[in-house]
Amino acid sequence: MHAALHPLRRPRTFGLAVAALVGAVALAGCQAAEPDASDEPVAGGTLRYASGDAEPTCLDPHVGGNYPQALVATQFLESLVSLDESGEIIPWLAESWQASDDGLTWEFTLRDDVEFTDGTPFDAEAVKANVEHLKDPATQSSTGYLALGKVDRVEVVSPEVARFVLTAPDSALLESLSQPWLAIESPAGLARGMDENCQAPIGTGPFVVDGWEKQERISLVRNDDYVSPPADARHEGAAYLEAIDWRFIPDAASRYAALQAGQVDVIDNPQPDTAAAAEKSGDPTWIDAPRPGASNRIELNSGQAPFDDERVREAFIAAVDVNDGIDSLYFGTAERSYSPLSSAEALAYSDPDLFETDLDRANALLDEAGWAERDDDGTRVKEGERLVVRFPVSTNQSVPAEQSLFEQVQATAKEAGFDVQISLLDLSSWYGALFAHEYEIVSAPYTKVGPDVLRILYHSDSITPAPSGYFANLAQVNDPEIDALLTDAASTSDAAERADLYERAQALILGGHYLLPLYDQQNSFLVANSVHGARALPTVSTPTFYDAWIAD
Amino acid sequence: MSDLELQQATVDAAAAEARPTGRPRVGTIIAGAFVAFLLVATCFPWLLETYDPNAIAPADAFQPPSAAHWFGTDESGRDLYSRVIAGTATSLAIGVAATAIGLALGLVLGVAASFGGRAVDFGVGRLVEVLFAFPGLLLALLVIVVAGPGPVTATIAVGLSTAPGYARIIRGQLISIRSAPYVEAATVLGRTRPRILGAHILPNALLPLVVLATLGIGQAIVWAAALSYLGLGAEPPAAEWGAMLSAGRTYLATAWWMTVFPGLMIVGTTIATTVLGRALARRERGVR
Amino acid sequence: MPVDGGSSPSSTGPPAARGGGPAVRHVALLVGGAVFVMWAVATLTFFAIRLIPGDPAQAILGGPGSQASQEALDQVRLDYGLDQPLLAQYLAMLGRLVTGDLGTSYALKVPVAELLGAQVGGTMLLAVCSLALAWVLALALSLWSTGRGRIATAVGQGIELFAAALPHFFLAAVLIAVFSSGLGWLPPVATGTPVGLILPVATLAVPLAGFLAQVMRESLLDAMRQPFVVSARARGESALGVRFRHTLRHAALPGISLSGWALGWLLSGAVVVETIFAMPGLGRTLLQAVTLRDIPVVTGVVLLVALVYVVMTVVTDLAMRVADPRLAGEAR
Repeated sequence: MHAALHPLRRPRTFGLAVAALVGAVALAGCQAAEPDASDEPVAGGTLRYASGDAEPTCLDPHVGGNYPQALVATQFLESLVSLDESGEIIPWLAESWQASDDGLTWEFTLRDDVEFTDGTPFDAEAVKANVEHLKDPATQSSTGYLALGKVDRVEVVSPEVARFVLTAPDSALLESLSQPWLAIESPAGLARGMDENCQAPIGTGPFVVDGWEKQERISLVRNDDYVSPPADARHEGAAYLEAIDWRFIPDAASRYAALQAGQVDVIDNPQPDTAAAAEKSGDPTWIDAPRPGASNRIELNSGQAPFDDERVREAFIAAVDVNDGIDSLYFGTAERSYSPLSSAEALAYSDPDLFETDLDRANALLDEAGWAERDDDGTRVKEGERLVVRFPVSTNQSVPAEQSLFEQVQATAKEAGFDVQISLLDLSSWYGALFAHEYEIVSAPYTKVGPDVLRILYHSDSITPAPSGYFANLAQVNDPEIDALLTDAASTSDAAERADLYERAQALILGGHYLLPLYDQQNSFLVANSVHGARALPTVSTPTFYDAWIAD
Repeated sequence: MSDLELQQATVDAAAAEARPTGRPRVGTIIAGAFVAFLLVATCFPWLLETYDPNAIAPADAFQPPSAAHWFGTDESGRDLYSRVIAGTATSLAIGVAATAIGLALGLVLGVAASFGGRAVDFGVGRLVEVLFAFPGLLLALLVIVVAGPGPVTATIAVGLSTAPGYARIIRGQLISIRSAPYVEAATVLGRTRPRILGAHILPNALLPLVVLATLGIGQAIVWAAALSYLGLGAEPPAAEWGAMLSAGRTYLATAWWMTVFPGLMIVGTTIATTVLGRALARRERGVR
Repeated sequence: MPVDGGSSPSSTGPPAARGGGPAVRHVALLVGGAVFVMWAVATLTFFAIRLIPGDPAQAILGGPGSQASQEALDQVRLDYGLDQPLLAQYLAMLGRLVTGDLGTSYALKVPVAELLGAQVGGTMLLAVCSLALAWVLALALSLWSTGRGRIATAVGQGIELFAAALPHFFLAAVLIAVFSSGLGWLPPVATGTPVGLILPVATLAVPLAGFLAQVMRESLLDAMRQPFVVSARARGESALGVRFRHTLRHAALPGISLSGWALGWLLSGAVVVETIFAMPGLGRTLLQAVTLRDIPVVTGVVLLVALVYVVMTVVTDLAMRVADPRLAGEAR
C-alpha cells in the first residue's frame, strides 16, 4: 500500500505541540513539552505508548513505507538530515552537504563516530547500501522508492563522504531524505533478507528493537552507546528512558480509558473531544503535530461527468458548508484550511475567498450548466441523468469525526440538488472503487515533507496508473500549465523562484475548483503529566522519546 | 446446536412453567405493545419523529437529553430520538430480511432432508454439519471478504450463518409431523407425497416456523449490528442502530446518550421479539 | 427437542450408523465425520476465496495502494504458484494442509501456523474463562430461581432474557464506562494479567450465561419432578441440598452438549471483544486479515476454528456417553 497514504489508519486527530502548558500556541513547526525549569531529567523507567494506528506488517520502513511504520521507526532509525521547528534542514547523520552547480551531484559529509547497534560502522558504504536497498524492486519500497526517483546512484568518495548522483536536479532531495521512510539501516541487517529484517531492523537510533509480539507489543530498549541525536535535540548521550513498551490499542475509547487509568503514558490519535478537554485542563498534555505534505481535502474527479464541467465543480464547492461542522466535530482543535498544502509547509498558499459558501450561486451555476430540473427527491436531473456524486470513504483513513463531517457535506450538498452517495469501505474495497474510477469525490491523505507533494498529486503524469492500478492524481487534474510549473519548481535551485512557482501552481489548482480543502492532516498525542520532554519530530510529525523522562 | 435451536429449547422451558390459564401474561402484553410501537416506527415514522432525522445542525451537536431533544443530539446535531425511530425500519429490515434468507434456505434444506430420501438426508446432514463449523460471525466475515462490505452483504451474511440452524430444526419438526397419525392415515388412503406435503405437513409446520422466525429476528439484529460496529454494515446517512451505537462509542467519554439509547433499542427489540415468540409457541402448543 | 436431540452429533450422523454397533465403530465414524468436515471446510474456503475480486499477487505486494512493478507481480505469481491451474493450486493446498502447513501470511510474511500458534492461546484462555464464568452464573441463577414460585421465576427469566439480548460491544462499552472510567476499579484494556481479563471475560460470559440459564432451567425443572428428588425430600434433605446433590447433574447434561456451540459463539464474540480490549488473539487477527485480504491467514483461522468445532463435537459426544450411560447403549 502506498505508504504515505498511511493505509491502516485508525482514529487520528489533531495538530501540533504542547498547547496545554502555554495555551494554544500555533506554530508552523512543532513544539516540545517544556519541562519546568526546576525539574531535572530522571534516568530510567519504561514509557508505555499506545498506538491507534494499524500495527505495521514490517518494521522496516523501506518496505512499503506507511505512517504506522514511521511512528515506531522514529524510535530506532535515523535519517541523514532532519528539520527544525522553522522547517530548515538541519544535520543528523550527515554533518554537511554540498550540491554541484548543475544540481546533479550532492556530496554528503557523514559523521565518523557513529555505529549501528550491531557494531557495523556507519559510513558512505552504508548510505550506498541503503539507497540500493530502497531502489531494489525486491524491497517492495513505495514511499522511499518514489522519493529517490531522481537519484541514479550513490558513489563512495571516502568513508565519510557519499556522493548522490542524480538524473535531474531535485529541489526536494533534502526534504525527501529527512523522512523516516529513507532512514539509514545497518547494511549487515539488510543483508539478512527481508523476512528477518522486517522483524527487527538495525539502526543507529536511541532505542533498539528487542522483540515484537504480533498484535500485542513491540519492546524497545535503550541504546546505551547512542551518540547521534539530531541537531535540535535537548541533550546528548543515551536516552533517559530505559525502555519503551509500544502497544496497539485500535479502539479509540479504550485507548483513552487506558491513559486515564494510568495503564499507558502516551496515546496517539485521541478523539477530538478528549483532545479538546486535555487542551483546556492540561492533564494529560496535548501535543498537536499536523502532518506535512497535503492538507486533508475532498478532491473532485474532473476526469468524467458531471465534474468534468468546471461550473458543476464550482457549484459543489459553493454549496457545501463545512465550517460549522469542523468547529463542532473537532471541538475547536482543527482549523479550516484553504490550501492544498498542510500549514506545516512554509510554502502553503491559501485563498479563502474561493471557498465562501453561497447556495444561490451554486444553484445559478447548476442551472447554467444544464442541471435545471429536479426530481421528487430534489436531486437535479439533466437529460434523464440524476446529479449523483459517489463518495467512497475509507474507514481506515477517515476517523469517525471526519466521516461525520462527510455526512454533513452530504446534507448541505443536497440542498443544491446533489445526491451524494457515501459508501464506507475497507481499504481494499476503497482502492478498488478508485481504480475503477467509481467516484466523483474522494478524500485521500498524503504525507510527504515539502511542497513537492503537489507534483505527485496534481501532475498529469500521476493520472497514469501503476501496474497495481494505483494513481495519485485523484482529482484527475490535467493542465499543461500546472504540469510545467510543478516540473520547474522541482528542479530549480533558487529558493525564491521555487516559492513563486509553487504559489502559482497552488493558485491554479485552487482556482480550477479541483478540491475542497478541509484542515491539516490531524495528528496529535496525549501525554500523561508524569512524562516530560516528549516532542514530535518536525519531519513527518512522528513522536520522539529521546529527550523524554518520567517523573517519579 | 445454534442460537436458534437454543432459543427453541428455551421455549419449552418457558412453556413448562406456564400457568394453565389462557390469559396472556403481563410480559407478553408489554412485549406486544413494544413490537406494535416498532411497527408504527417502521411504517409511519413521521407519526413519532419530532425532527427530520437527517437534518444536521452543527451548532446543536452533543446536546444531552432534554425536553426539546428527548434522547439528546448526536455529533452533527441531529435529534437522536428521531434517528432511533428512523433507524427502526433499517434495523428491522435487516433483521427480517436476514431471517427470511436463513429461513428460506433452511426450509429448502429441511424439506429436502426430510422428504428426499436417505441419500439426500445424509447429504444435507453433512452440509449442515460443515456449515456449523463456521460459527456465526466467522461465516459472515468470510462472506464479506468475498463479496465486499455493505448493508446488503451484511444481511445476506447473517442470513446465511443462521440457515443451518433453521435447516436442522425444520427437518426435525417435519419428521415428527410426518409420523403423526393423520399423516399416516393420509398415506394409507393413498394420497401422493406432494399432496400430503402440501395439504397436511406444511400447514402444520407453518406456525412453528413463525415462532422460529420471531425468535430469530432479535439475534439477527444483534449480529448485523456487530458487523456495523466493525465498520462492515450500514451506510450513512441511513440511521441504523448498530452504526449509531458504533458512532456513539467514539464519544462515550463526553456523550453517553449516543451509546445508551441505540443500545437499549437493540436490547429491547431482542427481548420483545423473544417474549412474543415464546407466547406464540405456547399458543401453538395449546392449539396442537 | 433440539437440546438433547438436535444438538448432539447423533442427529446428523450418517444414517448408516444408526443401526448401532460397537464402541470402536462409533468412534471411527465420529473421527471419519470430523475428517470429512475439515476437508469440506478447506475446500469451500479455497473456492470461496477464488471469488474475491482483485489480484492475490497484489495483496502479497502490500495491497492495492502499493506501486508494485509488473516484474514484481510476475515474480510473486511464480513464487506462490498463482500461475498454476486452479486444480493444481487446490491439490497443492490440500497436500500442504495434510502436513500441517497453512502457508505464509501475505501481509506479515511469516508462516500462518506460527502466527496463529502465538494467538490461539490468548483466545482459548479468554473463551475457556468466559465459558466457565458463564456456567457459574447460569447455574447460580437457575438454581436460585427455578421452581421457587412465580416471582422468582419471572425475575430469573427476566434477567436471562436481558443478559442474552446484550450485544457484546454495547456491554463492553457500558462495563468500561462503569468499572474503568467511572469507578476506576478495573483496567480498560487487557494487561496480560488476570485482572485485565475480568472485563473481557465478563463481556463474553454475561450474554452466554443468559442463554445457558434458559436451557438449564428446563432441565432442572424436569429433574425436580423426578421420583428420586421427591424421595430425597421425603427423607428430610433440605431443598437446597437436593438442588445441589441431585439435580445439578441433570442441569449439566444439556450444558455439556452445548459447549461446542458455545465455543463457536465465543469465538465470534472474540472478534469484537479482542478489538475493544486490545487483546492479542484469533479474533483480532481475523479482522485484520479480512481488512488486508490476507487470504492465507483468513483460511488458517477458519480451519483452526473448524478444527476446534469438530474436536469439541467428538469430545462432547464421548463426554455425554460418560455422563449419561443410557446413551452408551443407545444406537447412534
